[in-house]
Amino acid sequence: MSLNKIERAQGLRIRSQQDLAAGLFIIALGLLAIFLSWNLPMGSLRQIGAGMLPKSIASICIGLGLLLALSSLRYNGDELSGWSWRGVIFVLGGAVLFGLTIRGFEIGSLKVPQLGLLISGPLVVLISGLAAEDKKWKELIIFAVVMTLFCALLFKYALSLPIPLAPWLLGI
Amino acid sequence: MKKLTLGLAAAFALAFAGTANAQNYPTKPITMIVPFAAGGPTDIIARIVGENMSKTLGQQVVVENVAGAGGTTGIARALTSPPDGYTIAMGHLGTFSAAPATYPGLKYDPINGMQTIGLAGGTPILIVARKNLEAKDLKEFVAYVKANPDKLNEAHAGVGSVSWTTCTLLKGQLGVPKLNAVAYRGTGPALNDLVSGQVDFMCDQIVSVAEQVKADTIKAYAIASPQRSPALPNVPTTKEAGLPEFQIEAWNGIAAPKGTPKEAVDKLVDALNKALNDEGVKKRLLDLGTVMPTAEERTPAGFAAVVKRDADKLSPILAAAPK
Amino acid sequence: MGEMISHLTLGFGVALTLQNIALCFVGCLVGTLIGVLPGVGPIATIAMLLPITFGLDPVGALIMLAGIYYGAQYGGSTTAILVNIPGEATSVVTTLDGHQMAKQGRAGVALGTAALGSFFAGCVATLVIAALGAPLTKLALLFGPAEYFSLMVMGLCFAVVLARGSILKAFCMIMLGLLLSTVGTDLETGQERMTFGFPPLSDGIDFAVLAMGVFGFAEVLRNLESPETRDVVRTKIGRLLPNWEDIKQSINPVLRGTTIGAILGILPGNGAVLGPFASYTVEKKLAKDPSRFGRGAIEGVAGPESANNAGAQTAFIPLLTLGIPPNAVMALMVGAMTIHGIIPGPQVMTKNPELFWGMIASMWIGNLMLLVINLPLVGVWVKLLQVPYRLMFPAILIFCCIGIYSVNNQPVDVAFTALFGLFGYLLIKLGFEPAPMLLGFVLGKLMEEKLRQALIISRGSFYTFIDYQNRPISLGLLIVSIIVLVIALLPAMSKKRDEVFTE
Repeated sequence: MSLNKIERAQGLRIRSQQDLAAGLFIIALGLLAIFLSWNLPMGSLRQIGAGMLPKSIASICIGLGLLLALSSLRYNGDELSGWSWRGVIFVLGGAVLFGLTIRGFEIGSLKVPQLGLLISGPLVVLISGLAAEDKKWKELIIFAVVMTLFCALLFKYALSLPIPLAPWLLGI
Repeated sequence: MKKLTLGLAAAFALAFAGTANAQNYPTKPITMIVPFAAGGPTDIIARIVGENMSKTLGQQVVVENVAGAGGTTGIARALTSPPDGYTIAMGHLGTFSAAPATYPGLKYDPINGMQTIGLAGGTPILIVARKNLEAKDLKEFVAYVKANPDKLNEAHAGVGSVSWTTCTLLKGQLGVPKLNAVAYRGTGPALNDLVSGQVDFMCDQIVSVAEQVKADTIKAYAIASPQRSPALPNVPTTKEAGLPEFQIEAWNGIAAPKGTPKEAVDKLVDALNKALNDEGVKKRLLDLGTVMPTAEERTPAGFAAVVKRDADKLSPILAAAPK
Repeated sequence: MGEMISHLTLGFGVALTLQNIALCFVGCLVGTLIGVLPGVGPIATIAMLLPITFGLDPVGALIMLAGIYYGAQYGGSTTAILVNIPGEATSVVTTLDGHQMAKQGRAGVALGTAALGSFFAGCVATLVIAALGAPLTKLALLFGPAEYFSLMVMGLCFAVVLARGSILKAFCMIMLGLLLSTVGTDLETGQERMTFGFPPLSDGIDFAVLAMGVFGFAEVLRNLESPETRDVVRTKIGRLLPNWEDIKQSINPVLRGTTIGAILGILPGNGAVLGPFASYTVEKKLAKDPSRFGRGAIEGVAGPESANNAGAQTAFIPLLTLGIPPNAVMALMVGAMTIHGIIPGPQVMTKNPELFWGMIASMWIGNLMLLVINLPLVGVWVKLLQVPYRLMFPAILIFCCIGIYSVNNQPVDVAFTALFGLFGYLLIKLGFEPAPMLLGFVLGKLMEEKLRQALIISRGSFYTFIDYQNRPISLGLLIVSIIVLVIALLPAMSKKRDEVFTE
């Protein structure tokens, strides 16, 4: 949004929280990329090295981020809006849990057994379902079971994808 | 409801059977991991052989494609899974013989850390070039490469691929390891640029290049096998064409995790052998330009010897190759 | 002409047997189904169905597999329109206006337009393959690494036009997409880049993982935040099919989209991806009121959808006439042919005319079947939108999870998708749009590859890109990119200086 005369006279100050945060975010990502690709060789034009493109693109990102951050001092824009942790935790948590349990997982001493779709399926539906404010327990549980059976039939049998159902129980 | 109870009972029975000893092997489907995308040469051979092996074993052999890192991701997953005979892998020259030298942090040891089952087939390697390259035959080509190491462009399908591995061997043997190498994502795009003359030569498996050679869109200098291939009878062997030291074949073979019970190994070896003797399978494999493995190579020990032989041949050159 | 008719007669003779029609139908139905399911792509399905086709004759098997392929292309746009999840790179553009239409209660119209536009594009593309397949092959061979790089540059310029709001932010997103595309093992040197030493990242980020995260999951998170907006979809259900007014509005975009898509589809290395983006750019620039785009403009669905389908069909040209697969699905088709003892090469057309022309004829039949299958389904899909959102999003989630898992059979991909969901949510909060990022990501890999290939071949000389004597196409494409960029920036520039960065 352009500024009127009075606003212009007020000099530089943060006029768009969103753009400022966005600019800083891009700068941070660019710096992270440069840090991660620090040891990769640039190479020459004749034989471009593995590091040339990541570093150049990251530098452009930083430049654009700076522009964006500076423009937030000059032009009016949106404020930052709230952040819903409820969705993030339940929805993304459900998905991560699915990934952990579908084939089992092992990091160091942490061991998750291979549970297969018959367990992972209801888990993801139930846990993500908690994110809805208007959830109904009974409905959700029935839905989780029905969806899982439907998916098992659809993916495992109709499309014959190699997805484990319940290796600890059925052996498949 | 009755059906459900029956189903559950059957499920429990199955689960119980699953824990029984290896003598009844196999009691459930066997997963054959192919460490490449579906549709590639290894995948095709795995599916053709796997389908027939299912008949002998009485259980489905399910092909699962786990692609990544030149095939090492899938092989690593297969070889680190429980050694119960229900997870096996179809790998090739690259994943079993070349990988230890190509990938320093490899998560498996193909020489000492796996149970070989047997070789499923060899795939001859050809040296091919764009059709208007001046060199007429392999001798001229070798002379030209040695005299002008800076003029030619080699195409390959990415570091770790069969074409990269074999061409690196060729360049090492010719003493021009630094020759310009242009990397492509897979054989298809590399071949496209070879046909259109953007690049000068490449090495690849016969199944990928044979039809182009037959149609005269590219030319083949030699085949790096002891015998000519019936698919391309006019292409001389490297021995005939004057480069006898360049001998390499991109075989595909089956392996299981180390510690797989002997009963399971024996049954898998037998199933593989029966599949390779089946006329239908044989015809399909021969159509692909495959060289059928000898009786010796179909055994665990014979296959292990092949892996070792090629690893010894490739390791010094790959370790020294510029990447 | 006479020759073409005799060829097509041969082709229809092969394709119109009862068995082959049935196979084509099954293929299209399965294809539509997997296209609608987010994540499950044609690659996994074709691979799984390969053994089933062992018992069939090669022509029948290929007809069925081809049906799955274009059925999936078709079905992918359904998900893009209904739940804003692009199953493939080619349906990213459809989400922009298609999903907006759905939110306005015009899901049926959007789906119907996509179906009719795709059918038209498919018919034209089939004719193009039959009539010009062989000569057009030369086009694929004219494109070396330098031309390809210039084409990608042009594609990125299109991405700027995609932007709805701030052009500066769109540039940021494109660059971020390019940056993400460099993650993974370097193709030339085998070095790992920005992988944190984490093996699952060594092959880079999968498109499905990124798209499902920043579109699918992030969209769910956004919807959960504001119950009002998500219920709009349920309360209003308009017409199920486009009316005459809609069709009139769509005719020209469909014609242009078909042309653009058909040409780009022939190019090797997945040129088809650019089709929908190019079509969208053209439509937005030709429109009297470009501000309607991104807010449910029917042209933004009709054009790109036609381009998508036309490209999907003409992508068969390099495969059928050269024997060289231009993308991963086509590589799988090569595998399927090979298993059936037909090794594709330049001679397929002369050696197996019944296969070649039978497949071409079946493409047309397949397109007709897709229309027959999909038009009645429009009603079903729209009904699905009436499912309360508290049940809808867990269902989307389980489909996404299974779908992503099945792409590479890697559970860790599901976790990555969740991570990108968080990332996408953050981008929404910061006012960024994910579409330009996805285009940057898709083009980034190819662009780097082609840049490096071209420079190795030219021994480090940038002149290769503007060498008007040897590479006029490359020069031409770069000139077009500059023009596109100027057109995109001009309206912004001509406004008052204060408004430079907001369109």
